[in-house]
Amino acid sequence: MPVVTVPILKQGDVLIASMQEALSDHALIEFRDRLSDQVGRARARVVIIDVTALDVLDSFATRTLRSIAYTAQLRGARTVVVGIQPEVAFAMVQLGLTLESVETALDLEEGLALVGAIAGSGGHAAH
Amino acid sequence: MADPRLAWMDRAHPLPHEMGVDEEEVERRKAFLEFGEDDVDVLRGLRELARKYADPVIEEFYGHILAFDETKSFFRDPKVLARVKELQKDYFVRLTEGDYGKSYVANRLKVGAAHEQVRLEPKWYLGMYSYYLRLVAKRMQESLTNDPAKAFANFLSLMKLVFLDIGLAVDTYIFARESTMRKQQEAIRELSTPVLQIRERLLLLPIIGVIDTHRARLITDSLLRSIRDNRAKVVVMDVTGVATIDSKVANHLIQTVIAAGLMGASVIVTGLSSDVAQALVGLGLDLHKLNTVGDLQGGIEEAERLLGYRVERLEPSRSPPRD
Amino acid sequence: MPLTETRVPIEDEEDIVTARQKGRQLAAARGLSLTEQTLIATAISEVARNIVVYAHRGEVVLSAVEEQGRRGVMVVARDEGPGIPNPTLAMRDGFSTGNSLGMGLPGAKRLMDEFELSSTVGKGTTVTMKKWVR
Repeated sequence: MPVVTVPILKQGDVLIASMQEALSDHALIEFRDRLSDQVGRARARVVIIDVTALDVLDSFATRTLRSIAYTAQLRGARTVVVGIQPEVAFAMVQLGLTLESVETALDLEEGLALVGAIAGSGGHAAH
Repeated sequence: MADPRLAWMDRAHPLPHEMGVDEEEVERRKAFLEFGEDDVDVLRGLRELARKYADPVIEEFYGHILAFDETKSFFRDPKVLARVKELQKDYFVRLTEGDYGKSYVANRLKVGAAHEQVRLEPKWYLGMYSYYLRLVAKRMQESLTNDPAKAFANFLSLMKLVFLDIGLAVDTYIFARESTMRKQQEAIRELSTPVLQIRERLLLLPIIGVIDTHRARLITDSLLRSIRDNRAKVVVMDVTGVATIDSKVANHLIQTVIAAGLMGASVIVTGLSSDVAQALVGLGLDLHKLNTVGDLQGGIEEAERLLGYRVERLEPSRSPPRD
Repeated sequence: MPLTETRVPIEDEEDIVTARQKGRQLAAARGLSLTEQTLIATAISEVARNIVVYAHRGEVVLSAVEEQGRRGVMVVARDEGPGIPNPTLAMRDGFSTGNSLGMGLPGAKRLMDEFELSSTVGKGTTVTMKKWVR
């Protein structure tokens, strides 16, 4: 069974990964490993993960996102998760999931503004 | 009891268990009314008599109802009247059938609910019971002129049962009214979760009243949608008008703040008095996730600052021109 | 009283996604809001994952239900896995899904309107959840 891979784009020192659809656990792990590899290679400063297309962020997906952020941080990069939909944010909070120290922004545009890649008013920095 | 004439009653009527009128409850009521096996025997004994006078009693009964404008209005259509008379006769006959168990109770509740649905007020409904009892009392007296004591005793048994019926009927009225109130409260709650955009990317969420879990969810849901639709970066959530802020409510607020954060929006909480905040911290709540500012104005100013606005008054204020 | 019923065998992690997508479809068909659909899909994801992680195989049964005039969706996740030795503990909040500990059951319960856990050590686990149209 072909593994769906998440495309990772490079824009200067920013890596942008757009998750297109529900990934199986296996594919999520693959994505995490590939991303962290790229962070190192590209000496990226920022990783933006766009989850706009995801209709569910369950405990596994959330843990994976946190783990990506942690790994990126070890390699000197900030991670910003963008595009969490209202219904998904609602479900996450009901489930008690947090992205803790992972930064979030409304969408890709806001995420890029947050990290200074484009002019704008920025997003929501982690506490 | 698959009586096709009664099929019209089967439209979504409250079930006994929905109303909490289960068998145990009914037994308690019978005990309180001192309605027992002897009464059941008495009533069964009256069956023949009841069937004999069923038709004339019905005619007199409806004669009385149709003589009053308030009750006549329910039976304007002659077809409806004919059908209702049949059903009423059936109702009266059941009083002396001798079976006063589950299906009897369900039937009584359905009938009560049907009368409530057509908006026949309790005063007329109960008045009708009274009239019926007097009609029956007269006939019982006539049939036992040589034994008035027995006639009286028979009447008392019937009276107990009719009061059981009345109790059930009144319950259906109360139940229906309470259901309506619940639905109205629900509607009010849904209407009272406004989210206002007061500047570009700035939302104001004034929360007023009682916050229970359901309402908290509605508020959160509504806020999150607004954040997306307005691309909001900052939300000022004012809780001045929240009735009671206990740890449950505080947790709801914290959850709302976290959810907004997942969408990249910061929340400034205003109107949380320091007393309440201290009390909550005392209860072990971690409030440091909340960015609180004492009052609404301060909160809005803080929000504007976060968004990069600076508000300046251009010149000394002038009073508006007098007319 | 269940009406239509869909069984999704859960054998590997891809099935988790299938189960929640079908759950969402059913919820939508029943008239549940987008938010409610997401809550159901998320709850299914959690319990289906439990099956994969702890029991390795099982099934998720999705059905439309109707009770006292209310329409809803019922999700039954069952397996013949090792069972939960202490269900009360598993249901205690504090067993958060945020960490790698815990089975996400208290969270799933919060997402749904009705929730029932039944488990026997050595025999298996069944989670029954319902959500109603408001």
